[in-house]
Amino acid sequence: MNALHRPSQSAALASAAPILRTQNLTVRFDEFPAVRDVDLSIADGELRVIIGANGAGKSTLLDLLCGKTLPSEGEIWLHDRNITGIGEAAIARSGVGRKFQTPTVFKDMTVLENLQVASNRRVRVFQNLFDRVKSGPSDKEIAVAERTGLLGSMKRKASELSHGQLQWLELAMVLSQDPKIILLDEPAAGMTSAETDKTAELLLDLAGQHTVLVIEHDMAFVRRICRTITVMHQGSVLAEGTAEEIERNPAVIEAYLGSATLSHA
Amino acid sequence: MTYRTASIVAYVVFFAVVLALPLVLNSFWTNRVAIYLVYSICAIGISMSWGYAGILSLGQGLFFGMGSYMLAMSLTLAVPENNPVPQLMLLNMEPDAVRDLCCVTTGSFLWIPFRSITVGMIAGIVVPCILAAAIGYVMFKRRTTGVYVSIITLAFALIGQLLIINNQPLTGGFNGLANLALLNIGGFEFDPYGPSAYYTVALTLLAVILLARYMLSGRIGQILKAIREDEARARYLGYDVENYKLFIFCVSAGVAGLAGMLFTLTSEFATPSLMATSLSISMVIWAATGGRASLLGACIGALIVNFVGSLASESATFQPVWPIILGLLFVFVVLFMPNGIAGIFKALVERSGKAERFAEAELSAREA
Repeated sequence: MNALHRPSQSAALASAAPILRTQNLTVRFDEFPAVRDVDLSIADGELRVIIGANGAGKSTLLDLLCGKTLPSEGEIWLHDRNITGIGEAAIARSGVGRKFQTPTVFKDMTVLENLQVASNRRVRVFQNLFDRVKSGPSDKEIAVAERTGLLGSMKRKASELSHGQLQWLELAMVLSQDPKIILLDEPAAGMTSAETDKTAELLLDLAGQHTVLVIEHDMAFVRRICRTITVMHQGSVLAEGTAEEIERNPAVIEAYLGSATLSHA
Repeated sequence: MTYRTASIVAYVVFFAVVLALPLVLNSFWTNRVAIYLVYSICAIGISMSWGYAGILSLGQGLFFGMGSYMLAMSLTLAVPENNPVPQLMLLNMEPDAVRDLCCVTTGSFLWIPFRSITVGMIAGIVVPCILAAAIGYVMFKRRTTGVYVSIITLAFALIGQLLIINNQPLTGGFNGLANLALLNIGGFEFDPYGPSAYYTVALTLLAVILLARYMLSGRIGQILKAIREDEARARYLGYDVENYKLFIFCVSAGVAGLAGMLFTLTSEFATPSLMATSLSISMVIWAATGGRASLLGACIGALIVNFVGSLASESATFQPVWPIILGLLFVFVVLFMPNGIAGIFKALVERSGKAERFAEAELSAREA
């Protein structure tokens, strides 16, 4: 993956080997369709950004993909496996990692313990019954901690970390699972500009090895990571393309007329 | 001294005291302390599920009572005049009933396997486990959490108590099972007032606490803690949270059942009041006072609360208000010492450790 990523090329990639595919994905809350007929196709190794106004259904879409919410209709395919309704844990094991908008980590445990719980790939009760925990970090845990800048904080409790560090810890936990797809909900929310820069770098670095799906509000941030953008509006996909294409798209402009997102854009 | 060393020392001191006590106690107090140690085992069960996994069961008495009844049934049948049919059934049977355990009263065939003491002893652990698995499966698969788990387990304990009270011909009803034979294994008789029963309880406690500590200090303890902290996050990391909860809930029930059997051994009866709400809640108070997240703490909490309780019951002033004191103690512990005695111990050790390091640093600074 390189920075000069053209939409035509991305389309070709998507049709060649979509790692994640949704068909007519729909969810209704009390008859209100929060997500409507979404057909996504994400290529292996792609970095895809989903934008949209508040209530456009972006977070709900991620909830559907990771199993938090069950779809009313439609299917989700990971490679050639239908993962619709198999449960959050099974979806996670099949290679979908989710990072939430507000950092969710195990607050009362140290950074190392958080990573140990995350990186353990043997998840059955009886596999862990008499398994001991290493007192030091494994190579993999060191690698993800280094990548997210947490190497110096391994022995600290998660509750002592700053907000930005918590975001990275959660990301590190997801990374330590080596997921095929990483779902990120506003990874730069609440970060300082230095932290945001670092996050953007990290995301660019991740694409290629992993498939990354990012929800983001901040158009400046989106332009920095500059890949295919999917615009959602009222639960449906409104447009897809590069940042320039999206900004010139009349339907998008109309949908966003007067909204904060357009003024950023 | 690090916290780890301090806690090893605490374990060693505790068990040295527990094992030495019968040397200085008379037979009455040997028996009393043995019963308190039984309660300590219960508190360990609570600490495992509540302290480590955040599952607050208010129905632990159900499993404790079941364990107690299973052994008591075998010991009832071990009394010669209770054969072929226990006295309690003869008193309550229909006039024309067959005098055989198969059909003297409805369901009396359930007693048949308990002719074997081995079956009684295995059932004392296995039956509470199966019961917990059934209750836990329904609760956890439906993702019941927090206070609802407490309410459901409380309700099941009440149901269990009512079932036993209302089926007098089968269970002995409100009177429970008394008039038991002494437990006799291979010709060796366990005397509830002597050191044999005491050491059985004490060594079981030792084994339970060491096994539990070994298990919970490993990978599974870490995962259970993570589930306690954030269930959803654990799920999105690929863990089947329900299975972990079910597992620890069953283990905790098995421990309670084991304690129940030891209760029968030391008290020589089984009664439906073991399943009463008050006892289940008391168990939670013991664990909370000692420190729910610490196995040894919970254990010591049970000993202290029961010892003070028994002193209070001998005083005419304190006896009637003891339940109130116990309730206030719980409120106090929850509000002001959430980690109980063990938490205070940990804080003291860490503070003294810091002070030591500070003194050393100052000394070396002065030398420099």
